[in-house]
Amino acid sequence: MQSAWRWGRVFGRSDVADRSHGALDAGPDRVDRADDTDDTDDRPDLAGAPSVPVRQVIARWLAFADLMRRSFELLESEIDRASTLVETSTVDLSARFRDLAEVARDQSQRVEEIVGLAQFVTIDGEAVPLETVVTSMQDLINEMVNNIVLLSKKAMSMVYLLDDVQQDAIELEKSITDIDVINRQTNLLALNATIEAFRAGDAGRTFAVVANEVRHMSRTTDELAERMRARVGAVVKGVREGHEILRLIAETDMSPQMLAKERVDKTMESLVEQTALFQRVLSNTASSSEHISKNIGTMITGMQFQDYTKQKLEHVNDCLRVLDAALETLEIETRQVVPPTLQPEIPSAWIDQLLGRLTLSEVRQRFVRKLLLDGTALDAHGALDADVGHRDSARSSDDDEAGAVELF
Amino acid sequence: MDYAVDVKEQEATVRMSGRLTFNDHARMRTLIREMLQNDARRQVIDLANLEFVDSAGIGMLLIAREELSNVQKEFALRGAAGQVKRVFSVAQLGKLITLED
Repeated sequence: MQSAWRWGRVFGRSDVADRSHGALDAGPDRVDRADDTDDTDDRPDLAGAPSVPVRQVIARWLAFADLMRRSFELLESEIDRASTLVETSTVDLSARFRDLAEVARDQSQRVEEIVGLAQFVTIDGEAVPLETVVTSMQDLINEMVNNIVLLSKKAMSMVYLLDDVQQDAIELEKSITDIDVINRQTNLLALNATIEAFRAGDAGRTFAVVANEVRHMSRTTDELAERMRARVGAVVKGVREGHEILRLIAETDMSPQMLAKERVDKTMESLVEQTALFQRVLSNTASSSEHISKNIGTMITGMQFQDYTKQKLEHVNDCLRVLDAALETLEIETRQVVPPTLQPEIPSAWIDQLLGRLTLSEVRQRFVRKLLLDGTALDAHGALDADVGHRDSARSSDDDEAGAVELF
Repeated sequence: MDYAVDVKEQEATVRMSGRLTFNDHARMRTLIREMLQNDARRQVIDLANLEFVDSAGIGMLLIAREELSNVQKEFALRGAAGQVKRVFSVAQLGKLITLED
């Protein structure tokens, strides 16, 4: 019953209150009732007493005019809303895109910094180009290997030298032994000479002195040979020990350390290649970020379409206002020439068709409010808002209320 | 290490095999003496069958080169392979001794 009351309120008709929901959609039924009412209130001065179909058309026209004006007003405000929505969203999007562009630029700069840093290694606070580091490392290892080679040669030369010294010492020991033999023979000869000198008596006395001297010399030589043996023995011992130590040094194979150069070279090569790869990838990343930044800039420029759209929508609104004004004038003029009893024909089919197109509930609610509730007490008390808020529950709990809102 | 010397008119070839290490120093010295004494002007050690050389071995080869150079004899190493070739390469021995494939 409430929705029927609303119809009556909108079109200023009292009899509408008696109508059911179904009657709103039944065209022929409406026409019959309008005819009943109009017959008694028909004004005699209506341009040569219009026929029934003409009055019907005028009645429908008046209702349409009213609804169309409300629709135009609503369309204007909807267009404004859409324009504002587009504007707000565009401004927001532009701001976000600008942020994005800035982040991309920052990223590009940072990556370029990394690209620059990747070419250097910091050693004792000094930035040294990676290539220099690699070259100096390789030079260092080459020098090390060369030193190993040189030391190996020197060590072997020393080994050969000590071999010779050892050989010489052995020869020396042999010589001392030879001296011993000679000395023993000399000593024996001197002893024999002394004996023979004693036998010769006075004639051999002088010879006995010489033979004694020879024996004395032989003892001295023996003492000397003994000292030499001791010394040579010490030298041979020292040389043998030195030879042993040198053997320990020289037989320590340094070839694995030399071959480590291969590994170091490969590692350095890999390091340089990897750094070059990083640089390439980072450079690509930097240019991608730069590209993104530029593209975003272009997108922001592209968003200026919003200004153009806004202007277009303003044009549409201007036209709608003109149409609205023209319609109002025509409606007033029509009302002046038709009998006051001629009630406007409710264009329910048209309203249904219009509201049926509005799938966005928010927009549909505004249309319902504007076309059906504008200025009514229900609207003033926010009945529609409550309706909207509890639309889902109302649909199941309160058929009348739900019917009023969901009718369209 | 084992070796066999083949003396031709111009060139003496020493075919060396096994492993050349510090333990061969006496034998190597004998070989050097042989190379010094034979009549060939050019002495080549063929290393194709040498499996391994240590740093002392490198030292001994350098001593051989020096000794032969002192008597104006040419010295070359031929056909090094495997570990021997790698060590020669790392040691840049080619800068000091003529290396032949």
